[in-house]
Amino acid sequence: MDELRQSENHLTLILSLLVGALVGLVVVAFILLTGRLAARMYPAGGAGWRRILVPTLGSLVTGYLLWRFFPSARGSGIPQTKAALFIQDGRITFRTVAGKFLCCSASLATGMALGREGPSVQIGAGLASVIARNAGLSSKQVKALVPVGCSAALAAAFNTPIAAVLFSLEEIMGDLNATVLGTAVLSSATSWMVLHLVLGDDPLFHVTGYRLINPWELADYAVLGIVGGLGSTVFVKLLLILRQRFAQLPRQTVWLQPVAGGLTVGIMGYFAPNVMGVGYSFVEQVLNGDVVLKTVVLLGVLKIIATSMCYSSGNAGGIFGPSLFIGAMMGGAVGSIAHTLFPSVTAGPGAYALVGMGTAFAGIVRTPLTSVIMIFEVTRDYTIIVPLMVSNLIAYFISSRFQKVPIYEALAEQDGVHLPTAEARAQAGRSQVAHAMREAPIILAADTPAYEAQERVKDSLLNAWPVVDQQGLYGMLRSAELEKAPVNGYAAKNVRDLLNEQSRNDPLHLESAHVHPDHTLSLALERMGSSGLRTLPVVSRANVRQLLGIVLLDDILDFFGVHQSADESETEE
Amino acid sequence: MAKPASGLSLLRTFSLTIAAIAVFFLIDTVLVRTEKAESRAAAARAYENGMRLMGQGRYVDAAGEFEDALALARENLTYTLALAQALLAADRLPKAEATLSDLLQRDGTGGAPNLAMARVLAKEGKFIDAVSYYHRAIYGRWTSDAARNRVQARSELVDFLVANHSTEGLLAELLPLQQEALGDLATQKKLAFAFIAAGSPARGAELFRDIVRREPQDPDGYAGLGEAEFARGNYRAARANFEAVLRLRPSDAASRQRLNLSNQVLALDPAQRGLSREEQYQRSLKILELAVASATECLASPMSATTRDLIDSANNILRKRNQPTRQVEAMDKNMQLADMIWQIRRSECGATSQTAIDLVLSRASQ
Repeated sequence: MDELRQSENHLTLILSLLVGALVGLVVVAFILLTGRLAARMYPAGGAGWRRILVPTLGSLVTGYLLWRFFPSARGSGIPQTKAALFIQDGRITFRTVAGKFLCCSASLATGMALGREGPSVQIGAGLASVIARNAGLSSKQVKALVPVGCSAALAAAFNTPIAAVLFSLEEIMGDLNATVLGTAVLSSATSWMVLHLVLGDDPLFHVTGYRLINPWELADYAVLGIVGGLGSTVFVKLLLILRQRFAQLPRQTVWLQPVAGGLTVGIMGYFAPNVMGVGYSFVEQVLNGDVVLKTVVLLGVLKIIATSMCYSSGNAGGIFGPSLFIGAMMGGAVGSIAHTLFPSVTAGPGAYALVGMGTAFAGIVRTPLTSVIMIFEVTRDYTIIVPLMVSNLIAYFISSRFQKVPIYEALAEQDGVHLPTAEARAQAGRSQVAHAMREAPIILAADTPAYEAQERVKDSLLNAWPVVDQQGLYGMLRSAELEKAPVNGYAAKNVRDLLNEQSRNDPLHLESAHVHPDHTLSLALERMGSSGLRTLPVVSRANVRQLLGIVLLDDILDFFGVHQSADESETEE
Repeated sequence: MAKPASGLSLLRTFSLTIAAIAVFFLIDTVLVRTEKAESRAAAARAYENGMRLMGQGRYVDAAGEFEDALALARENLTYTLALAQALLAADRLPKAEATLSDLLQRDGTGGAPNLAMARVLAKEGKFIDAVSYYHRAIYGRWTSDAARNRVQARSELVDFLVANHSTEGLLAELLPLQQEALGDLATQKKLAFAFIAAGSPARGAELFRDIVRREPQDPDGYAGLGEAEFARGNYRAARANFEAVLRLRPSDAASRQRLNLSNQVLALDPAQRGLSREEQYQRSLKILELAVASATECLASPMSATTRDLIDSANNILRKRNQPTRQVEAMDKNMQLADMIWQIRRSECGATSQTAIDLVLSRASQ
């Protein structure tokens, strides 16, 4: 064992195999358990009242569990996995894994219109992290094993081993040239093998073979791309807006908020049962051409609303599966119209539903390569590739134009998590804020009276001081504002009031005037220039209100040796 | 940050992970077994519902039930076949064909799926393919009651060929079917009619005689025998059988019509036995007269010179009506002239429904 420890490559390979097998089995258990429970909770053809009651009660129970015991298990799991990977050195706790398994099983089994793939990714990444840390691996090795767990999870959850690897690289790592490619492939293949050992060789969707009937049909697929792009944008924007609204509700209601999603999906499910749960069985019907235009349009719209409500209200579950459902409905609708208008030159609506799945995925998740390969793997049909590429790229372009920030990044930002960009990650290890930052010598409480604050900072050489409240950093109070306080008659007010006044005059101030430890010093200088502050707060990426320290202009200059030489020249003079 | 671990902690991690793999493998196996058992039971329920709905003639609903059953038990050939049959009954032919294509990829030699495919293709009007699948069904594998199913398949093929007026190959199907279907009265009747359609009325008559002997009070037997004799040109025997039908079933309009036609032929045909030469000659004149009248009525004027000449010749003969010295030759000449005029009329004006003159002239030309 000690010899094995010395050989990092061998150890990583063995762990990749073990992670692949374990994650595959855990994800299969998760899927089977969810499916069996759902069949009992709201059986097909069961009473309508059950379809209202079950999701409402389910969301109430999971809402409490998420609030009380597993706050990290809320939502999809993919933004959380990325945050863990890039900000927390790949650390995901076993509690989070167990919570995700339990809460998502309950949530999906009670009919939430959410997906199982995102949670599976977090479960897989979490297991990889737990195993790697218990094996005593370095933080670098732990981080390297997290995407390996993601690949294994997605390979088992969606039965697409190649797309799983690509998704891990394209979405989770944000880098198709990542060095974890080999181990990700290994774990994905292991997981897929385990899946087939347990479940047999049965594709996720049984689809009739489709082909391009006529080159002119590409125009129809382009229309599908436009519809998919616009539909994706509507879905993402609605979800983000609703989530923002829920976040503004009092904190005491967090445990109760998921009920709003449960009740919404329950009421919809009373009239349209197919809107509940993951909905893959109905997707398969549509893929096989069993399409009634009115039904697919209605279900597509209902699913967009139901998923947005379920997700934004804080239920546990992902948007990966719902994206495919929405895409299949949009494709079915476009295909149905196209086939009615031009029956001799178009394939059946099922072909469009198939392409629509990839199109919506490309538009919502913004991983065009993964979406193409994923649909190819799901259908095992090569002939659909070209229309899929055309449609995907159009949807991707439209979605990028109308919704600048990709959904997982936008969700993380709403949670106060600032994920590093690919550029920032590439610069990691160079001159970073972490190298020049220091502890804040003075931290003002938000309720400190202005006159008392003046007293505290009178000997300080800084020109701004961090202000904190119960949630953490509230803002940076400039010396100029503090000095003006008696003149403006604000001396009796507290620091929070001064900051609020300051942010009214300078609305960008709070947003832009901070840096993270992994930011480059040059970016810190840029932000000092734009904010007019010589002192910037350094905050955590995992929580932008967590103050880690401050960075001063003088410290940056010292780091580059500029300040010292200036002093020397002054001395010489 | 993880602390560097000893080989022992690594061993413990490996052991725990492998134990977890074993535990989850067991959990998954149990879950899969439970799921499969529940799915099988649910599929069987859906199938039973589907069969009940088929019995009630609710084919679309039945297809939905069979689809549900198949979604739960994809590999089940019985459910797939039932779905295809429901789709066929509901006239959803493209989907039925697709379902059967998939089924035949898995069970290419099965008699039942091939027969179902033949029925779909027959409904779609794909004649050659349908015949091919009927043959595959006849020579395919039947899990139970193979002999009866093969007779049924061949019998359907015969019906299909008759309906498509495909006498070619019909006789080849009828001969083995006659062997296989002995004793079954309904099949024998169908066979006998099919023999007539296949251009072998003698075999048909033989079978109908047997039927009449076994069931002397069965009007269908006499009707069939009448048709067989009519097809053979035995109008006297045909007349006797149609009269027998009307005695047993006086309201039988079709047999009455055939009886009238037989009487007209017998009254017109100069080749009937027991007629004097004078009578034969007079009948030939009558036929010539009917042919000219019919042609003049339908042919557009001006007629072609040939047609005009033929009709003028006929009118000359009919105008004179003198007793020729050589009546047999004159009769033959009249019949030939009538036949030529009739052929022109047929080509110019189209074929008429079976008429006495038509039957008499075609018999005479033979």
